[in-house]
Amino acid sequence: MPEKQVKHLRFSLPERIEHWVLVTSFSTLALTGLIQKFADGAVADSIIGLLGGIETVRHIHRVAAVVLMLETVYHLGIISYKLFVRRVRPSMLPTLADVRAAIQAFRYNLGQGKVKKPQQGRYTFEEKIEYWAVVWGTMIMAITGFMMWNPIATTRILPGEVVPSAKAAHGGEALLAVLAIIVWHVYHVHLRHFNKSMFNGHLSEEEMLEEHPLELADRKAGVAERPIDPRSFSRRRRLFIPVYAVCAALLIFGIVAFVSFEETAIETIPPAEDVVVYTPLTATPLPSPLPIEPASATLPTSWDDFAALFEVKCAMCHSGETAMSGLDLTTYQSVLEGGASGPAINPGDAENSLIVIRQSAGDHPGQLSGEELAALRQWIDEGAPEK
Amino acid sequence: MWFTRRSVIFILAGVPLLAAALILTFSPTQATESASNPLPQEADNEACFACHATPGMQTTLSSGEALYLTIDRETFLASVHGQLGYACVQCHKNISGFPHPEIQAPTHRDFTLQLYTVCADCHRDKYDETLDSVHQQALAGGNKNAAVCTDCHGAHDTMPPGEPRSAIPQTCERCHSQIYDLYKSSVHGAALIEDGNPDVPSCTDCHGVHDVEGPSNSPFRLFSPQICAKCHADATLMDKYGISTDVFDTYVSDFHGTTVVLFEKLAPDQETNKPVCIDCHGVHDMQQVDDPESTVMKENLLSTCQKCHPDASANFPSSWLSHYEPSPTQAPLVYFVNLFYKILIPVVIGSMLIFVVADGTNRILRRRKERRNA
Repeated sequence: MPEKQVKHLRFSLPERIEHWVLVTSFSTLALTGLIQKFADGAVADSIIGLLGGIETVRHIHRVAAVVLMLETVYHLGIISYKLFVRRVRPSMLPTLADVRAAIQAFRYNLGQGKVKKPQQGRYTFEEKIEYWAVVWGTMIMAITGFMMWNPIATTRILPGEVVPSAKAAHGGEALLAVLAIIVWHVYHVHLRHFNKSMFNGHLSEEEMLEEHPLELADRKAGVAERPIDPRSFSRRRRLFIPVYAVCAALLIFGIVAFVSFEETAIETIPPAEDVVVYTPLTATPLPSPLPIEPASATLPTSWDDFAALFEVKCAMCHSGETAMSGLDLTTYQSVLEGGASGPAINPGDAENSLIVIRQSAGDHPGQLSGEELAALRQWIDEGAPEK
Repeated sequence: MWFTRRSVIFILAGVPLLAAALILTFSPTQATESASNPLPQEADNEACFACHATPGMQTTLSSGEALYLTIDRETFLASVHGQLGYACVQCHKNISGFPHPEIQAPTHRDFTLQLYTVCADCHRDKYDETLDSVHQQALAGGNKNAAVCTDCHGAHDTMPPGEPRSAIPQTCERCHSQIYDLYKSSVHGAALIEDGNPDVPSCTDCHGVHDVEGPSNSPFRLFSPQICAKCHADATLMDKYGISTDVFDTYVSDFHGTTVVLFEKLAPDQETNKPVCIDCHGVHDMQQVDDPESTVMKENLLSTCQKCHPDASANFPSSWLSHYEPSPTQAPLVYFVNLFYKILIPVVIGSMLIFVVADGTNRILRRRKERRNA
């Protein structure tokens, strides 16, 4: 009968929840951040489109950043509690032994015969590298993120160039973090051996022996955790809770300030130009054509003047043998004779002269102007003298 | 009797007109762009000029407004249509003899608005383009002052468009005189109007010709940086004036430009408050960047930034790199941060890869060895 598989608890449920909060916020930040960094690419554009546009992407990015900052506040509380209240060993601190383990592991992997695989404890040097990389990265991202989120506040103290530098660092650090996760984390936790402890919390005896032999030995010897004196423990806890409450309140206040520090830009678009669009030079778009006045500014007074006027306005139809209605208006004699309807003019009586009657109707081709017609009436009323 | 005799005039003046109308009806010419196939002169314009060349001819419209009926013969003959022998009745289609049908339009403007659509008979493509224009939208909205074909091109004095090029802004000036005044003082306008410079944009280069868009609508605003880029990213053109062609790329790689370009690509009808070129450089009155009046001159930049960032202080404007690519001399901090990550990323990731590959190889080799031994 096979011996029952021994399980070793590696991560408690709260620790696993923390990890998945971190995974979610980190992935969201990485996705929504990198598509902004590489916004000129087709892939980035289609993702931005799927997420509902660049402003939504920025909004999601900022929400994820706040989640990560809150998780950081929680994490600081948990590690302070472990270190100062429960007095656990600071097993995540890098030591010289880690440097030696790293060198040893590399030489072992190169197959240098006598070199043995390094024996490591609760956190291996691979894990410490990753943990401290996250700490470093989060700090850089928070500082440079603040500068981009609050450029006006930043430039009150620092030179303007700091803001685009922050953007450069934010993008560079992001690329570094994502690539490190892909190479380092994915290899060590998923490829080399699929480590399920962040899912179910446990490692098997074999896995412990393979990756954390020193911790396994401590556990077997019952010295993995320091003994707790219940009285001093509860005293430390009574002290810790209010101190942490104050610190957490301050940090959360800091996050609120981070988010709402300044109104960087107005929401609207200021008018680009103060100008009235429609300011016509004239009342209508195209100036009405000016009346083309007769060449001679003076009004006709004698037969010679009228002969010239009739030549221009009437002779097209009323001249020569083909004169319309038999009316020829080119000679004094033919004007007096008139056409088929009778004499064109009745000297001394303009009102009863056919030429005036036709012209007064206003729709005769070769229409005389009002002034010309008035001059014509006057000339007829004065007896229509030839000279 | 007069009325029967009147028919003689009808025959004399009307026959050529009627003939022309018939010919036009049965052999429609879709004159294109250049209208290169003029009609034979069946339609005798001289029959029209017999009366309409008479100085001082006018009629009174029902509103009491005068409609001048005199056409200057020489002006018409010198126009593009006159030169090619087009007939009066090709546009004045309802006229086929005397007496002419009564003019129903109460005002001169109404008369124009009734007649201008006839341009579409020959210039259908251009006419269709105008249907999307801001002018047609205004007209459809009841604004009778909105420009139609003849307002810009003229009716009896139509000349080839854009000759000289300064005629373009001067045409727009008739309705947009305030904007023209700004434009003629700008670096572009002064070069065109004073020096006849063929490289600078006139109104239509940015706003379009027949399909002129409303400049304040989102698609136009979002697209406008690319209008500027047409010339300002053209190296051969910019070299003549010693202007950098990095302006567009540096704009796009910055926060403002990235946003605008994304909106333009993904949601062109949505508004963004991020600035386009004209928001900083000015619209019609843009000056050279070293002109003391320029809105982007170092001394003026803060107040330009403050249009959108009212709380900005003295250091704020230099957070914009003024279209410079970071270099050891321009924006050195940005340059060195970029350089730092250009070195750090390959070193860190490279080391990790070496370590990971060594570990993986070793594992595979050992597993094989174990299997052989087993």
